[in-house]
Amino acid sequence: MLEALQYFTTSWFDPSLLLLVALGTFAGIYVGAIPGLSVTMAVSILISFTFSWEVHSALCLIVGIYMGGVYGGSRTAILLNIPGAPSAIATAFDGYPLAQKGQAGEAIGVSTVMSAVGGFLGIFVLAVAAPLVSEFALTFQPRDYMLLAILGILLVGSLSGESLVKGIFAGALGLLIGSVGLDPLTAQERFTFGVVELWGGISFIAVMIGMFGVAEALIQLRHIDKTAVKQKIGRIIPSWAAVRKYLPLSLQTSSIGVIIGALPGTGGDIAALMAYDHAKRVTKNPEVPFGEGAKEGLVAPETANNAAVGGAFIPMITLGIPGDAVTAIIIGALYIHGLNPGPMLMIDQPDMFWFIVGALVLANIFMLIFGLTGIRIFVKIVELPRAMLIPLILMLSIVGAFAVNNSITDVYWMLGFGVLGYFMKLYGYQVGPVILGVILSRLIDENWRRAIISERESLWDLFMGIVTSPLSLVLFIAVVLIFVSQTPLWVRMKRRIFATDKEAQE
Amino acid sequence: MNKDMTRKPGEVFFALFLSLVSLGAVWKAYGIAGFEALSSPGAFPMTVSAIMVISSLIIAVKTLRAKPAQDTSFFKDILPPAAAMMTVFILLYAIALKPLGFLPTSQLFLFVSVLVLSRRGVWFSAWVSVLCLATVYVIFRLVFSVLMPEGVVPEREIIAFFANLFGGEK
Repeated sequence: MLEALQYFTTSWFDPSLLLLVALGTFAGIYVGAIPGLSVTMAVSILISFTFSWEVHSALCLIVGIYMGGVYGGSRTAILLNIPGAPSAIATAFDGYPLAQKGQAGEAIGVSTVMSAVGGFLGIFVLAVAAPLVSEFALTFQPRDYMLLAILGILLVGSLSGESLVKGIFAGALGLLIGSVGLDPLTAQERFTFGVVELWGGISFIAVMIGMFGVAEALIQLRHIDKTAVKQKIGRIIPSWAAVRKYLPLSLQTSSIGVIIGALPGTGGDIAALMAYDHAKRVTKNPEVPFGEGAKEGLVAPETANNAAVGGAFIPMITLGIPGDAVTAIIIGALYIHGLNPGPMLMIDQPDMFWFIVGALVLANIFMLIFGLTGIRIFVKIVELPRAMLIPLILMLSIVGAFAVNNSITDVYWMLGFGVLGYFMKLYGYQVGPVILGVILSRLIDENWRRAIISERESLWDLFMGIVTSPLSLVLFIAVVLIFVSQTPLWVRMKRRIFATDKEAQE
Repeated sequence: MNKDMTRKPGEVFFALFLSLVSLGAVWKAYGIAGFEALSSPGAFPMTVSAIMVISSLIIAVKTLRAKPAQDTSFFKDILPPAAAMMTVFILLYAIALKPLGFLPTSQLFLFVSVLVLSRRGVWFSAWVSVLCLATVYVIFRLVFSVLMPEGVVPEREIIAFFANLFGGEK
C-alpha cells in the first residue's frame, strides 16, 4: 500500500515530471480547443517526439495531453459554437447560448470545475477497478482476447461512421497493415515483397501520423477562410453554491462517463451525448430550458467526457485493448516504451500503473488551473489563421515521422497514408478502426493461433469452447449483435418496438 | 440501403481501387502458406484480406448504385487546388529534407505555404515562417533534443559554439 502511494506520487515531487504534465495538459487544452486539431492528432504527433525519452517523462506528457485535450474542446464549443473535439459536441448545445447571453465566463468556469469533478471520479474508479479487472482478466482464454479485440474494432467501426461495411473494411485494412513483416511466431515473410526494410513491418507511427496528422490537416484546408467570432468574457470562477447545486447531477453523469469510457469502442463523445440526454430526463425544472443555456446541459457532458478518460484507461491497461483511436495510440506508445499493457502489467509493473494514476490526478489539477486562467490569450490562439497553422502541422508531422527511426522511408509511408486517409475521410470511411486494427493485429493473430492450436485445429471444438464458456459466449453474442443490428430486419423490429412504446405512453 | 443515397465525384474510382488492392492482398496472403493449416502464418492475413475483398465489393456495388451528387466536381469539392498543392509541397519537402537539411527545407516550406495559403504578401509570410520555425526549433530540437537531418547547415558546430560561449562565462 505504502509502495503504491510512493509510485502514485512520483510525478508530484519530481520537478521535471511535474513540468511535463503541466506542459502536456496546457498543450492538450489548446490543441483540443482549436477546431480541426483533434486530441488524436496532438497525441499522435507529439508521441513520436517522446520516442527516445525515458518512459516516465513520456507518460507524463501523454497523460497531460489526453486529459487537457478532452477538456479543451469545450471552450471553443462555448465561445464559438464549434466543438473543438467530438467530445464537446453536447457542450455546445447549452454552452453557446450562454455565451450569447454574455455569460461565457461563467459557462467556462462551470464546465472547467465540472470537468475536474468528472475527471477525479473517473481516476478514482480506475484506481479501484483496474486491479480487480486485471485479476479477472487473468482467467481470460486466448479466444476471449481475440473476441474482445474484434469487438473493439467493430464497435469503433459501427459507432463512428456512416456505414458498418466501411468500418469493417477500415478495421480489416488496419489488421492487414499490422500483419506486414516477419511473422512473430515462425519468422516467415508476410507482404514484404522481398524488401528487407519491410521485415520489421510498417511503422505504426507513420500510419497514425499520416491518418490523423496529414489527412486532418489536408481536410482542414477545405475550410481555410472561416474566421472566429469574438465573445465577451466576464467572471470565470464559479461560486461554491453553484458547484454544490450541480454536484448530485455531476456524480450521476460522471458515472455514465466512466462506464461508457470503459466499454470498448465507446469514448468521451458518446459518453457526453448520453450524459446530456440523462440530464435532460432527470432535471425536472431547469431554470433555463435545455438548448437555451441550461447549466445542467453544460455540467452533464463535461463531467462525462472527462470521467471517460479514467474509464478508458481500465481496458487499456488491464487488457491491452483500446477503446478508441486515442487510447489505441497510447497503447502503441506504451509498446514503444517497452511496456506491455495487459493483465500482466499490473502484476509485473504495478509501479507503472500507480504512476499513471498519479499523473492523471496531476493532469486533472493542472486542467483546473489552466482552465480557469488565461482565457484572453486563449481567444488569441484560437483565432490563429489556418494558413499558418496547417503548414505548421504538416511540418511537425513530417519531422515527427522522421524522428522515430531517423528514417525517410517512414516519412513516405506517412505521406502515403496521409493521402489515403484524406480520401477515406472524404468518402465516409472511418479511420479510427484502421489504427485500432494496426495496434490489435498482432494480438488477434497470436491469440487466434493459440486458440486454434489448443483445440487441435478443429473449428468445431473452438466453437464449442466459446459456447460453453460464459465469458466467451457473452463476447461472441456481442460481436454477432453488431452485425444483426445493421440488418434491415433489426431496423424494422426496432421501429416496431419503439412505435409500440410511444403508443403505450400516449 | 438508402434510396436517395448519392455518391461523390471519384467515389466509384476509389471504391474500385480499394477492391483491387484487397484482391491483390488476398493473392499475396494465399502465397504465404496457402491452405496449409488454420494456425499457419498465412491464415490470419488471408482471413483479413478476404474480409477486405467482401466489404470493399459491397461498398463498390452500393456506390455504383447510388446517384451521382448534383453540383459537385472532383477538383472543387474533393481535391480542391489548395489541398492538391499542399500534398505536392509536403512531398517535395520530404524529398529535400535529407539532402538539404531540416532548417533550410522547413524554412522554405513554411514560407511558400504561408505565402500561398494566406495571400498576405511576402513580408507577412517571411515573418510568420521565421517565427514558427524558431519556436519549433527551440522546443523540439533544443528542449526535447529531437534529431533532425542536418544537411547543409553545420548545426552541431553552431550549437557547440553557443554552448561554449555560455559555458565560458560561468
